[in-house]
Amino acid sequence: MPIYDQGYRRYEGRSPLHQIRFWPITREALRLILAKRAFLFLLAPPLGVFLFYVGRAYVVTRFPEVGRVLPSDGRMFGEFLNIQVFFTIVLSIFGASGLIANDLRTGAILVYLSRPLTRRDYVAGKLLVPLSLNLAVTLVPGLLLYVVCLALAPEQFAKWELWWIVPAVVAHSLAASLVVSLVVLAISSLSRSARVAGLGFAGLYFGLEMVRAILQNGFNRREAALLSLQADLQALGVALFGVVDRQLDIFWGWPLLVLVAVALGCLAVLRSRVRAVEIVT
Amino acid sequence: MSAEAKGAAPPLAFSRASRWYGPVIALNDVTVSIPPGVTGLLGPNGAGKSTFLKLAAGQLQPSQGEVSLLGRPAWGSPEVFHRVGLCPETDAFWEQLTGLQFLTTLLRFTGYDEAECRHRAENALHQVELLDAKDRKVGGYSKGMRQRVKLAQAIAHEPEVLLLDEPVSGMDPVNRRRVIDLVRNLGREGRTVVVSSHILYEVEAMTKRVMLVHNGRILAEGDVREIRDLLDEHPHTVALRARDPRRLAAAIVGWPNVISVNFGAEGEWLTVETARPDEFYGALHSAALGSGVVEMYSPDENLESVFKYLVAR
Repeated sequence: MPIYDQGYRRYEGRSPLHQIRFWPITREALRLILAKRAFLFLLAPPLGVFLFYVGRAYVVTRFPEVGRVLPSDGRMFGEFLNIQVFFTIVLSIFGASGLIANDLRTGAILVYLSRPLTRRDYVAGKLLVPLSLNLAVTLVPGLLLYVVCLALAPEQFAKWELWWIVPAVVAHSLAASLVVSLVVLAISSLSRSARVAGLGFAGLYFGLEMVRAILQNGFNRREAALLSLQADLQALGVALFGVVDRQLDIFWGWPLLVLVAVALGCLAVLRSRVRAVEIVT
Repeated sequence: MSAEAKGAAPPLAFSRASRWYGPVIALNDVTVSIPPGVTGLLGPNGAGKSTFLKLAAGQLQPSQGEVSLLGRPAWGSPEVFHRVGLCPETDAFWEQLTGLQFLTTLLRFTGYDEAECRHRAENALHQVELLDAKDRKVGGYSKGMRQRVKLAQAIAHEPEVLLLDEPVSGMDPVNRRRVIDLVRNLGREGRTVVVSSHILYEVEAMTKRVMLVHNGRILAEGDVREIRDLLDEHPHTVALRARDPRRLAAAIVGWPNVISVNFGAEGEWLTVETARPDEFYGALHSAALGSGVVEMYSPDENLESVFKYLVAR
């Protein structure tokens, strides 16, 4: 056959295998999410809470007598982040529940994985989407709040005794954002419908919180907090920021262990579900 | 064939590759080398064509054996995927993107800058006659347009190996013709193109090199002529229409090269099965004259009958 005599046309692009090869996935998904006006409205409540806490910081630093009622030390950051964690759930439901489900439904995952991408890259690219959104309502305002406090009352917040606030804000924000992102992504990979995945995630999150509330209030079992993702995240915040909460007064290592187990479980689900070809046996 | 080309590894090679899904064998002990040019992959639905292409594209791991793509194992070598274009059979896109955005996004994975991505995306859309619809959302495309945008994403980065799963399915005759011409041109440029179909004339129009797949096995491969030569070793069917079919049947039924003679439903047609077609055609002349043969054809002359014959073996 004469075709062997013909030459190849060589690839002329630059090396595609740079370190952030998953970036086009994240970029396109964020572009599509942020192009939705309705989604931008979801960012308003966390911004409102942030502004409220800025105002509170102003009041407690300017009027010390108010500080006797409202905490103005690290506990304020703990309370703030525990509220913001709720918004990570809302943003994840509306912004991330379809990330993998839609690719499975449309078959786009096959096109993705036929590019110079590994499955790990694909998951990393998708994970960065809810992670970015969640960090935007936890880490970023948390650090900004600290900067505001520092500017308003440097004599109070620049003390050596409060050095731990910034690492605690970073640790709590990262832990909460990462776990929530992994859970929503794992649930997204279990469905072909963004709506079903979103409802599944909301049901799981709020359902477990209801179970916790019933067990704690009905049977006075503090360990029931471990059942709820929200309570585990809050318990971690309680431990990090020294917030007093009788219901979450459990050894911090247990919720941390639960969160690590949840994250590993989600990674296992993603590992088994993220495939170019769905294998049905 | 140049010496260099002779020594080079084929762009795509299967070595005793099998793939099964639980108890179901989708591809069974396949050994084949695909050279540059267009190769048609023919088989009925469920024959294993898509599994073959997904193994070739590195999207499935062989249960046994090896599949090599551009000198690397196809499975687990995403670094070669920028030299490969895959057009899957099923829809595979983000419906909220426009055709141009869809291609541009995919091209970013291949390492081109923004301007190059856009240029290549528009060029690919032009090749499949979709440039006018580049700013429409893919979700609003017709079936034929979706097929073409899938093909465009496969060719946009000018890959060396193209794996096309039923690429003309759902297209109107005009676009079908265009895509067939496009595939032929890609083969002429020296690319390795594997194109699957269960419609024989589509593949015939693209290439003479075919592989017949059935029940996960390669039944035959090579030029259509080679497959016909293979056929000559086996019973060959000739249909004859004669003014006096009974006289013709009586004349030929005793010939040593005739296996069987059957009358058609209306009694006018005679179907003869022969083990040695050349001898049969040579001897037929005088008998045909005597019985008034007015029409003769061999169903085995077209690819369809070759396929049917081999599948039935």
